[in-house]
Amino acid sequence: MQPLDVMWVGLGGGAGSVLRWWIGKLAGERYHGAFPLGTFLINVSGAFVIGYLSVLFAVDFRDRYGTVLNAGVLTGILGGYTTFSSMQLDAAKLAGRSPPQAAFYLFISLVCGLLAAALGATLARLQG
Amino acid sequence: MSVINTVILVFVGGAVGAMLREFVMLMVPTLADGLPLDILVANLVAAFLLGLVTALHRRKVLTDGVNTLLGTGVMGGLSTFSSFVYGSFVLMSASFDGALVSLLYVVASMLLGFVAVLIGLKLGGSGLGDGG
Repeated sequence: MQPLDVMWVGLGGGAGSVLRWWIGKLAGERYHGAFPLGTFLINVSGAFVIGYLSVLFAVDFRDRYGTVLNAGVLTGILGGYTTFSSMQLDAAKLAGRSPPQAAFYLFISLVCGLLAAALGATLARLQG
Repeated sequence: MSVINTVILVFVGGAVGAMLREFVMLMVPTLADGLPLDILVANLVAAFLLGLVTALHRRKVLTDGVNTLLGTGVMGGLSTFSSFVYGSFVLMSASFDGALVSLLYVVASMLLGFVAVLIGLKLGGSGLGDGG
């Protein structure tokens, strides 16, 4: 890993994190239910984009750096944009009120995330 | 806190978190069958530390600014959902055995992540659901 890769990961991670904060803020202003909609939409959309871009540009998921695309966009922006930790914190907050809701939230995030990644990959494959 | 200050804290924290994730992942060996153990380790560390930071923020040990920098920024950047699900999807579509192992991997990741955030919250002196 070269210093340039570290720089792209950092810049992308910063930009992706700001995007996550901003979309979370917009979702929070519009939706006031118990379901953690902001994090859910962020993670599912990020999963779709990583599936789409990885197949379109033939990037193996184990190759995380070396070009601007995999270091800056896939590892950086999408890694910073999506979050595993906030999803788990949301689930812990939900579990305080309703453990089944917390379990449902984690389940639906995982299923929709996997489907979104598959959909993105399929779309890129159809495009050739 | 003004919007521009928040954006700066989230950007700097997210940048540091993403670089930390890469360094953590470089230190963790990938298992022989290609399971992304490195992503799991980064995600579990982030979930645990986010629980800890959140609990300390609730108890006013950490200010709003530090919480934004560390919680929203660093831990958000350190953990990732996109690589987690995409990597799992690729392994799932590779073979039947791959699908089984990958399914086990994602379910275990979700459960361990939940336990990690709970331990962090507990250690920081906060319980389930405290403070919304």
